[in-house]
Amino acid sequence: MIKLDKVTKKYPSGQLALDDVSLEIKEGEFVFLVGPSGVGKTTFLRLFTREVRPTSGRVLIGEQDILMLSAKKVPYLRRRIGTIFQDFKLLLDRTIFENVAVPLEVTGKSEKEIEREVSEILESVGLLEKANSFPIQLSGGEVQRTAIARAIVGGPQILLADEPTADLDPLTAESVVDLLDKINKERKTTIIMATHNVQIVNKYKKRVVSMKKGKITSDEKEGRYEAGQKDS
Amino acid sequence: MKRRADMKQVKKTVKILRRSPYQAIAALLAMSLTFFVSSVFVVLIIGGQVVLNYIEQRPQVIAFFKDETPNSKITEIIGKVKATGYTKEVKFVSKDEALAIYRERNKDEPLLLQSVSADFLPASIDISVTQASDVGKITSLVKNYPDVEKVITPEDLVKQLVKWTQAIRMGGIIFVSTLMSISFLIIIMVVGMRIALRRDEINIMSLVGATRSYIAKPFLIEGAIYGVIGASVATFLTYVLLLANARGIQDFLGPIQVFPIDPLFFVYLWIGEVAVAVFLGVAGASLALYRYLRIK
Repeated sequence: MIKLDKVTKKYPSGQLALDDVSLEIKEGEFVFLVGPSGVGKTTFLRLFTREVRPTSGRVLIGEQDILMLSAKKVPYLRRRIGTIFQDFKLLLDRTIFENVAVPLEVTGKSEKEIEREVSEILESVGLLEKANSFPIQLSGGEVQRTAIARAIVGGPQILLADEPTADLDPLTAESVVDLLDKINKERKTTIIMATHNVQIVNKYKKRVVSMKKGKITSDEKEGRYEAGQKDS
Repeated sequence: MKRRADMKQVKKTVKILRRSPYQAIAALLAMSLTFFVSSVFVVLIIGGQVVLNYIEQRPQVIAFFKDETPNSKITEIIGKVKATGYTKEVKFVSKDEALAIYRERNKDEPLLLQSVSADFLPASIDISVTQASDVGKITSLVKNYPDVEKVITPEDLVKQLVKWTQAIRMGGIIFVSTLMSISFLIIIMVVGMRIALRRDEINIMSLVGATRSYIAKPFLIEGAIYGVIGASVATFLTYVLLLANARGIQDFLGPIQVFPIDPLFFVYLWIGEVAVAVFLGVAGASLALYRYLRIK
């Protein structure tokens, strides 16, 4: 279970990114976090990896308040969480295989284990034949699938996806969310996906948490995202 | 498993060094130059000490007695000289012994040996002092005895040598410290540039769960590699330089035997320099990490 308890985040610039946010997400849930740009979705996601510390409130994963973790324990927390970044954050001078291998390398796994696990993941995202290609040689959808592969390679319990369909055409965007849906169903991975893609949110009928000006304005099981919500 | 992971990190670091060799070459040259100069100063300081030791082991003060000085008086003077505590050895050379020495030294010059008897040569005492700096005190003491006709002392030479050795030591410390500071700054700069070049990769590694030590290790290994290679090159150059100039140096030093140099000296020099250089490299890299990544 993931829990935010009265979380407020105010940046030193004075910007209020999150305002007294409380939310619970059950294990294995798929949640769309929606709202226009700048409402605090990215800040929300970055709380879980301790990239951002709230000004007040508690962030719990399971029974653990992750804000109480020492700096030395933070890397171990991050190994339990996969992240798909809005800008992919792939290393352009490394092959697809090497990019996906990064999370395993940092945990000190052997080359054999890395070889086996990365190949399995690449096959599951349909990129095995592109293993030796470089990111610049791939299409937008393939790059995003590489980012997904890297995020799930260690078998994380939680997957955070920050606008993973932002720069993709509708068909590719759908294939990416299909893949995330498959991961959620097959691996029971908790997924929180920040997006403002109306078509995607409405098609998949998942739990939808809407945000506006740093506050949660609605939280619906099998919710919808209306165009009006996006524009407001 | 940890060892295998460490080896992987070393291989990774070498790969990174090969990808951008010019910065690495700059750092290696700075390290090599620093430790080569250090080696030269170490050799000069140790060589100076060898020369000083040689001179200190020779009789440094020779006091000649007037012809009429009785043996009892000479024995009394020897006793007083010994009582100062500054001497290592006080040796009495009688007139007959002086003649024997004279004959031995001039055995190839028969003309000089003719009509020379023991009466022509004065009795003397050869005084070896414990420390070169005590030569002056002993000289003043023996000069005060009216029975002493003449005192020969290498005091000035010793003073000069002590002065030179101290100057070399001081100059060495200042020069080597300056070079070490430059190397240190170059390593901070080179490692800092590498951190900047790999900022994205470091950021990603951190986000996927790399520990601080995992991120820092390649940079620390890089600093250590500069140290090991730089110090090794410096020791090798020093060895070659000494070997190539052995004859010339020995001719210059004359009877003071310094060659052949014990190979263990170079082993110790290498170990010492590698230790200092690795410390310098790792400290530089650590500072760069602290400065640019805030990794302690």
